[in-house]
Amino acid sequence: MTLDAASRLTEILLALALIQQSLEHMTRFRAEQVLFSVRIGLCVLVILGFGSPWPLVGLAGLSLVILERFQGPYNGGSDRMGLLALWCLTLSQLMPIPVGKELFLAYLGAQLMLSYFISGWVKILNPDWRSGRALAEVFRFSAYPVSEALRGWANRPRVLLVMSWAVMGFELAFPLTLLSPISLLAGLAVAATFHLANACLFGLNRFFWSWFAVYPAIIWLQGRIF
Amino acid sequence: MPRPLTLLLPALIPSWNFFDVIAPSPRVQYGLTATAETEPKAWLEFRPRPERVSLLQMAQRLLWNPERNESLFLTSCAERLVQQPTRHSEDEIFKRIAADLAADPDTAEGPPWLWFRLVFISRDGDGLSQEVLFEALPRRRSDIAIR
Repeated sequence: MTLDAASRLTEILLALALIQQSLEHMTRFRAEQVLFSVRIGLCVLVILGFGSPWPLVGLAGLSLVILERFQGPYNGGSDRMGLLALWCLTLSQLMPIPVGKELFLAYLGAQLMLSYFISGWVKILNPDWRSGRALAEVFRFSAYPVSEALRGWANRPRVLLVMSWAVMGFELAFPLTLLSPISLLAGLAVAATFHLANACLFGLNRFFWSWFAVYPAIIWLQGRIF
Repeated sequence: MPRPLTLLLPALIPSWNFFDVIAPSPRVQYGLTATAETEPKAWLEFRPRPERVSLLQMAQRLLWNPERNESLFLTSCAERLVQQPTRHSEDEIFKRIAADLAADPDTAEGPPWLWFRLVFISRDGDGLSQEVLFEALPRRRSDIAIR
């Protein structure tokens, strides 16, 4: 995949993800409706490729207003990935020389890889994750399970032990998937399934779309390095 | 450094330490009273989870999940309120409870004073313990901007 194709595909997927998030704000408060209507308009311009790179610059500027409005990301990690992708794409497009453009897209792809690896690393250092107890606590009392029925999973220690090691193993092994295009695609398929499960069980739908949007950047990075 | 750039920085240099420890988890509880002097007799959980969510609903929520994402935002506000209390987090929680109450015909015309508190649930040996870590001063519902 070329730099231009990866950059363009990432910005289209990101714009679609931001439209999905923005629509969710349109049923609530008037100030939010105004803010997110502007964001939808800019995202449409990005998808159409109109006036590039200025709609992206506008979205980056608007992201600061939204951060101020909610005193931080509205939805934690998923919004942070969206912000990272948005600013990396914007800075990449504003760079006057190809190496500068490559640098910012490579940073985005590398951060995607790190998002899995570091998550796995911090978990495996924690004895509660290694014993399956941490995941049991996520189901038993955290704010994340989408239904009360799901809390019953906390009483399945063997299943949770296997799930804990599967998650940690996948996250820690993810950098190895960069060794070939095929292994990377397989790794990304597993990753997307993981985000899909998180969306279904914990209601974290924004993670699925935000991470998916960045996949072209890491596919380009893999081809650029190996 | 301007405040929005300070807020942006953790996104540009992320830590990615998702779920490294399972911290005490907040629940927002609210109550309504006729006066500001008497505490609510009963505290109700704001947006309790449904008993079950079907596979079809889970699939739909991939594309449309505003209530759930708002609840997760309120969880962030609750955590901020006990870590670094700000008027903003308190305002957001009051506003969203008041808006839900106003939208429900059963509660739209209820008692005028709204209270909320934050109960944190954590592991206690093999069981769970609950602790109230924050209680907001009551506000008159008509004073809360919900549009």
